[in-house]
Amino acid sequence: MTDHYTIHPRVGEAEGVDFDVGPADDDGAVALAPDTKPSGDAPAIPLRAPAELDKHTRVELLKEERKIAAKYHGGPMWGYVAATWGGYAIWLALFPLTMLDLVPMWIAFPLATFIATAGYIPAHEAMHDNIARPGSKHRWVNEWVGKVATIPIVFPFSLARLMHLQHHYHCNDPVKDPDYPDEAPGFWAAWYKTWYNRQPGVDGTINTYKRVVAEMGTPEAAKALKDTIMVQLLYMAVLFTMAWTGYAIEAALVWWLPRHIALSYVRFYLSWVPHHPREGRTSRYEQTKVFKSKIGHFLSMCMETHAVHHLYPGIPNHRTKAAYYELKPILEKRGVDCSAL
Amino acid sequence: MRRFVVKRMLTIMQVALKKLFAIMPFLFGIGFIAPLIAQVMALWGWEAPFGMERIVFGLVIGAAWGLYATIRGRWI
Repeated sequence: MTDHYTIHPRVGEAEGVDFDVGPADDDGAVALAPDTKPSGDAPAIPLRAPAELDKHTRVELLKEERKIAAKYHGGPMWGYVAATWGGYAIWLALFPLTMLDLVPMWIAFPLATFIATAGYIPAHEAMHDNIARPGSKHRWVNEWVGKVATIPIVFPFSLARLMHLQHHYHCNDPVKDPDYPDEAPGFWAAWYKTWYNRQPGVDGTINTYKRVVAEMGTPEAAKALKDTIMVQLLYMAVLFTMAWTGYAIEAALVWWLPRHIALSYVRFYLSWVPHHPREGRTSRYEQTKVFKSKIGHFLSMCMETHAVHHLYPGIPNHRTKAAYYELKPILEKRGVDCSAL
Repeated sequence: MRRFVVKRMLTIMQVALKKLFAIMPFLFGIGFIAPLIAQVMALWGWEAPFGMERIVFGLVIGAAWGLYATIRGRWI
């Protein structure tokens, strides 16, 4: 079943750039390099012509788009590393500090919730190799940022990365996009879904992940499944031990509840808001929407400009807004609704 | 022979883990929810009904809730 799923990002080396260039333009008819072939499952004759723009215009726009995108790749990433490891150290310290009554729960609980939630952002950067690329000297930093940042939410980095990349490769595909179960008709339904999808017997996020991993059948997928079992058992062991030794409230407010809040928040802002409505929106410029967040760019985890991330996953999260404003005229020409920002 | 034994052990472990995860909500009910209920009651100075110990009350609620979640596949 492996060939059912994409394994590697679409790096645009053939097109003169060394970063992930996101999904193919519309039906694969437009490529900057003449030798770039459409993927195996693309139709031989494009089924749907992109509205109004001829091929020459689209090629020119894509060239311009990539020129702008190249400017926003890279830059210092140490902030993500410091925030992850510092945040993790604080979160870990909250266990003994609350157990010894040195830090009150009204401080520990919101702090743990913030760390668990915000930790997903550096982990997300690591999933796209944005902290250090494969083969680089500091590659281990990338891996350990991802591994550490996902501990509070009990979501092993190996599984998180694998599923997130499948989300990119098959965005909004009801079967192949592992995040598709997050789809909901409205705001409250979406929040409810974030909780509902975590229920043990529901065919939601976790069971979809298990299915996708089993279908992939790669060594990476097997490892991700093994890691998930280990991490979940360790999490339960810690919770049970703390609870039966008199620290159930500390365990609940430093790990259990922050984890649930973080998972819901992340799924809502990273998955539902920027992708809703998902149905049929699988092409390059349709996969995400630009939106204005009522709680601001930072608190919505910079997801207002998630469209830029899907086009160029190598642009760090904190630079997507600036990149968006420069790309905006091109995106508008490509039919992206940029009226919100 | 050794390869066969290792493979057999892995299969047994896989089955055991599957069974363990299948009843995880029940285990969570008695392993975490029960003491959590008892400790929250103690914190707020609540007594358990029918002269029960708080932890016994917690176990009754936690086990029943966990069992419900195991059977139904959701907590609520």
